[in-house]
Amino acid sequence: MSKTKKLQRRDFLKLGAGGLAAGAFSAGCATVVSTQGEKTISAQAAQPPKPAAAAEPAPVKSAEPPRRILGRTGIQVPIVSMGVMNADNPNLVRAALDGGIFLLDTAHGYQDGRNEEMLGTVLKDRKRDSFVIATKVHLSTLDRKTGVLSPETRGEEIEEKLDISLKRLGLDHVDILHLHNQSLRESVLHQSVLKVLERVKRDGKARFLGLSTHKNEPEVIRAAVEAKLYDVVLTSYNFRQDHHLEVQKAVAEAAQAGLGVVAMKTQAGVYWDKEKKSPINMTAALKWALRDPNVHTAIPGFNTLDQLQTDLAVLRDPTLTNDEKRSLEAPKLVGFFCQGCGECLEPCLAKLPIPDLMRSFMYAHAYRNREAAQALLLELGLPESPCGDCGECPVRCAKGFDVRQRVRDIVRLRAVPREFLG
Amino acid sequence: MNILAMHGGLVALIAITATASSPAAARGEPGTVAQPSSLLPKMAGWKISDGPTTYTPETLFEYIDGGADLFLQFDFQDLTSATYVNDGVGNDKHRKLSRGSHDSDPSATTRVEITVDIYRHKDAIRAFGVYTQERPAATTPLPIGVEGYAAQDHLEFVVGSYYVKLVQLGSKQMSLLRPFAEKLATSLPGTREPPAVLKVFPERGKLVRAEKLTARDFLGQPFLHNAVAVPYQIAGANFRLFVVEGKDSADVRSMVLRYRSLAKLSAAGADSVGTQGSTTVKDPLNGEVLLQWKGRWLWGAVDQTCAERQALVDELGRNLSGLDK
Repeated sequence: MSKTKKLQRRDFLKLGAGGLAAGAFSAGCATVVSTQGEKTISAQAAQPPKPAAAAEPAPVKSAEPPRRILGRTGIQVPIVSMGVMNADNPNLVRAALDGGIFLLDTAHGYQDGRNEEMLGTVLKDRKRDSFVIATKVHLSTLDRKTGVLSPETRGEEIEEKLDISLKRLGLDHVDILHLHNQSLRESVLHQSVLKVLERVKRDGKARFLGLSTHKNEPEVIRAAVEAKLYDVVLTSYNFRQDHHLEVQKAVAEAAQAGLGVVAMKTQAGVYWDKEKKSPINMTAALKWALRDPNVHTAIPGFNTLDQLQTDLAVLRDPTLTNDEKRSLEAPKLVGFFCQGCGECLEPCLAKLPIPDLMRSFMYAHAYRNREAAQALLLELGLPESPCGDCGECPVRCAKGFDVRQRVRDIVRLRAVPREFLG
Repeated sequence: MNILAMHGGLVALIAITATASSPAAARGEPGTVAQPSSLLPKMAGWKISDGPTTYTPETLFEYIDGGADLFLQFDFQDLTSATYVNDGVGNDKHRKLSRGSHDSDPSATTRVEITVDIYRHKDAIRAFGVYTQERPAATTPLPIGVEGYAAQDHLEFVVGSYYVKLVQLGSKQMSLLRPFAEKLATSLPGTREPPAVLKVFPERGKLVRAEKLTARDFLGQPFLHNAVAVPYQIAGANFRLFVVEGKDSADVRSMVLRYRSLAKLSAAGADSVGTQGSTTVKDPLNGEVLLQWKGRWLWGAVDQTCAERQALVDELGRNLSGLDK
């Protein structure tokens, strides 16, 4: 790896600048600025983020997507990167790279390695300095429930798995190697692990080191700072976390200590409800995380062209509008939620499934998901004119809903062609 | 009848001979769920040291983090996880292990552990689907259940609606893992046959054991779901044939309409989409995509073109018609 090691810093900087000069899509090239007192290389170096700043960043609507410096790595990253985890379409990754998203986040274990293999098919056709690749390795001796590393933990397992990952990716080094899924300080500071991570970096197999955490994040982030070895933390961070203020504080400390901060799970579960009928505003959720200037980039996962376009729009303008802020308030179900008490069923002369109809009404009007509302209606096998032959409606809803009016309203949705419901 | 229903028939047939925790579960009756502990057979020389623990769709993230998304796409129902330990394997070839117990004496035991994760999906085709998402591109198949493969310290296979993953700690001898998997496979109910829809793909030029099932967002398009794609290589051209199963004819027509709309075909033309037809779409993400549809089936080809591609797509369509009979 000596050759790789020699390439690691100076040549990468040179290649990065060359890539820009060569006229590659400018937003698609990873540029590096030096840190820790070294001379700044990139002319496009941004100012370091202010730690613990609560203010929102100024609106950015320039042609050049905003970038932030990923802590001491010095890499200027677009504020939106790609969580490749669930993507199995190499064309989507190519489209993301062409669109200016050049930090790709994968893991040794995603799709049992198929995710890294898929990325390898894309990256073989790209200049090495045109993308930043982060992968993660997990230790088999990590108790996933408790976060404890067993006494038999071998740090060497990290290097063994990284070697496999490099082969899958078709690369001789990754830019960031994360220790996957950490949730305890003791595990983050495990000496055998730190020793191997240090060696992996020294040998040039990973330019920078990091860890990922989605549980007990503040403790883990602070341990990463304490270890003085990690360059990056990858943390869950979203508006629905009960402890998001704690995470915010830890993230600020990490940024102040020079660590790069990458946010994940910004989409906060994607849906408000367990039934997955009420989607969260993904644009707003992503922008919410990016409001924190100590978050240097986020890695939303996307599987479709539509989702990519949504994220590219955020990349260009991350300003969280007032409407978007409001959309992050949980749906108000008061006035819509039928508890299914069934008191309406007996009085209804047409024997309509009124609780189901009220649920459909809720999908359409509270969740604004007309596809789900229509699908439910069609499953119910309703007569053509459900209330048509009735005179005065004898149903009295325990919640006070105007059942007749709501039924008449919602059943009309059956006739709307599906392609007009989206 | 759909793909899933056809597969269900096989589930019932094969399961008669399978050893199962309950007669109903053995018959593969819909809605019948074996108890987690009954999925884990007694193994001579092995005992369960940890578990069984059950994870649901709501808690799977606690166990496999973001990897849960893939399983949820394939209608994951529950996961039964346990660790078997064998204290009698010890010899100088095996490392000493006392994983998971901080107060045990590491020098007192020499043992091998196998972690067993049994993922149960809604049905057999979905279990096979998630398996195809994780199966390595180049691997030697193992005749365990529908199919399996081994790599380094792990072995995976699928039986009926179960996708099973085994990880071995403490020995590099795969001879320990494979017989364990074979025994476990015989105890699980469900089909040992691959999904019937795979049989409609023409044999000429097909790359074997490379089919991939996708539950949603096929080709990066949110309106294409429940797809099977199979790679082909003919005369130096690499392309995939695919089949998408709609809920019904209207669902398929909706897919075609949306695809044409995405490709900026005329709205007037879009109105003419009938219950069957064919077209070529210029997909901004995937290039030229050949499409044919009839009833609830949408099929076609994507990636590189070659002279034989159209003939193969036509043959695929004819085979699909046979599937409906």
